[in-house]
Amino acid sequence: MNFLKKIFNLNGKNNSCCGAREKGDDHGGKKIVIVGSPNVGKSLLFNRLTGSYVTVSNYPGTTVEVSRGKTEIGGRTFDVIDTPGTYSLFVITEEERVARNILLSEKPDVVLHVVDSKNLERMLPFTLQLIEARLPLILVLNIIDEAEKIGMKIDFQYLEKELKIPVTGTNSTSGQGIDILKGRIEEYARKIC
Amino acid sequence: MPEKYVRETDSLETSVNKIELLLKKDYGISGRAVALLLLQEDSEIIQLVKNKEPENFEKIRDVINTAKSYYTDPLSYIISIRRQEEANRIIQRTINFEEITSVSFREKLSRLMINPFTGIPVMLLILYYGIYKFVGEFGAGTVVDFIETDIFENNINPWIIKFADTAVPWHVIRDLFTGEYGIITLGIRYAVALILPIVTTFFIAFAIIEDTGYLPRLALLIDRLFKKIGLTGRAVIPIVLGLGCDTMATMVTRTLPSKRERIIATILLALAVPCSAQLGVILSLLEGNPRGLWIWLLVLCLVFLLVGFLSSKILQGESPSFYMEIPPLRLPKLSNVFIKTYTRVKWYFLEIFPMFIFASFLIWAGRLVMLFDILIKILEYPIRLIGLPDEAAAAFLFGFFRRDYGAAGLYDIKKAGHLTGNQLVVACITLTLFLPCIAQFLMNVRERGWKTGVGISFFILLFSFSTGFIVNLILNAMGINL
Repeated sequence: MNFLKKIFNLNGKNNSCCGAREKGDDHGGKKIVIVGSPNVGKSLLFNRLTGSYVTVSNYPGTTVEVSRGKTEIGGRTFDVIDTPGTYSLFVITEEERVARNILLSEKPDVVLHVVDSKNLERMLPFTLQLIEARLPLILVLNIIDEAEKIGMKIDFQYLEKELKIPVTGTNSTSGQGIDILKGRIEEYARKIC
Repeated sequence: MPEKYVRETDSLETSVNKIELLLKKDYGISGRAVALLLLQEDSEIIQLVKNKEPENFEKIRDVINTAKSYYTDPLSYIISIRRQEEANRIIQRTINFEEITSVSFREKLSRLMINPFTGIPVMLLILYYGIYKFVGEFGAGTVVDFIETDIFENNINPWIIKFADTAVPWHVIRDLFTGEYGIITLGIRYAVALILPIVTTFFIAFAIIEDTGYLPRLALLIDRLFKKIGLTGRAVIPIVLGLGCDTMATMVTRTLPSKRERIIATILLALAVPCSAQLGVILSLLEGNPRGLWIWLLVLCLVFLLVGFLSSKILQGESPSFYMEIPPLRLPKLSNVFIKTYTRVKWYFLEIFPMFIFASFLIWAGRLVMLFDILIKILEYPIRLIGLPDEAAAAFLFGFFRRDYGAAGLYDIKKAGHLTGNQLVVACITLTLFLPCIAQFLMNVRERGWKTGVGISFFILLFSFSTGFIVNLILNAMGINL
């Protein structure tokens, strides 16, 4: 588990991640933030995780809608926030600004970067940026079934080693891989804190 | 742009490190990420840093400006290029494309269908087995023979006729129901014994072809050709349907987006697309005359393209655009095929059935007032012009009402030895171009209105005989004897 060591080391240098967790602990609940470009199945994944406990409200001062819900993983309750579609931390649209503000201010315990596996090449730069930002990231390769259908083979182990974060494959339409993702979230949240 | 891949002396990296050291506050994300956003001159982040730590802000601004002076391109561009390069490097070792045989076979097949060189043979193969063999030989041959001969002619008709003879004393009324062209003996029998099996087998073939995802590929293949005649690939569906039944295909032209396309498709269907009943008849007439069959096919294709081209020039309107999603190819599902066939046959039958009864009534009325004798006399003139014997006039007129009757008439004349090979080919061409049946005429009127519907019919009447005339002239002038 190379990435964990790395993150532990990072904590010494930069306390933003730890600060986030402490604050999260005060509230009792931990926070999962879902980010990613439009049309990669973020909302479906959000629904898969949260079920029916969802509130949708405008982000303060904007017309952009943000969904919040709760999920229980391994006996722990997590708040889940679904952010508007974003391509980068270097924001252009109001939606992207809202997504970045959530990342900056909500102190997430786990950030799920959801990508379309078929277009991993276009989406990976944002992953790299999120890693640079030292956000507690899990890369979720969604729509994995379609990537497999076109003969794409993804070396998950290599990707994890290279990025030093957990990488999981899901199909949010069918629910395939959601359990594994939950396992990774639990493991992640437990080990860092 | 993770740190380990950047050279020590890299000025961008040096600037990032400098800024990172100057940042003292917590921003929720790493100092490195904040530094990079500052270098990209993200106004919101600049404002945020300015507010949070005004004491260091001037120094940070200096670092940013120095970094900018090293590069001609904007820093945001350089940073995103580097990130993409890093992503590409990882992707290269992460993603492999393996040849999945079933997928690539599917893809190959799909390309084969769209490519003009291979697509046209594939299309012909599908038409041959799907339409000619299954609908033409099995549906219009085997099944029709069974229902028509065994069920109607041997059992139902004699019984009904006998019953009517004893129950109805008036000959005229009896004729309406059970005469040679009666509502029961012709209208209902025709609809149930002839049209129903042909249309059902056609719809089965069509549903299978449709369910595999072939039609959009055929549309793509044919699109370029169809654009020349004022249509698009979308018209493929009604035109292919026309090979089953033109009347129904005319109804399906409703799916075409513009009025202009609908009129062009209606003309082509009425004129140059032979329905399965016509095809069966033509094939049996030209049996043992392969050269004649090729000439027939050639003339038909030329007429199709010429008339399409001319009507697209005459009819004003925008050239249509065409965009179609190409779904993946897959094996047809039996339940899909069944449901599609069932709903279409039902819908079609309910629409068509009354027309056959009405046609029977028209024939009855026409014969009653001697209108038919007059029409036959009139038809004899163009018949003579295209080099056919007078007897053919009756075949043509009744062929308009009942295709197989018209053909049977021709068949008898042929058997009697009154038709040469040339005459036979000319008759077949003219009969194919000629309005296929009264049901389609009624459908044209219903779908396109009286003016257009009748106009199309007159045009076809004129055109079919002109073509027969020209073909006859050419064959004779070239001394061809088929």
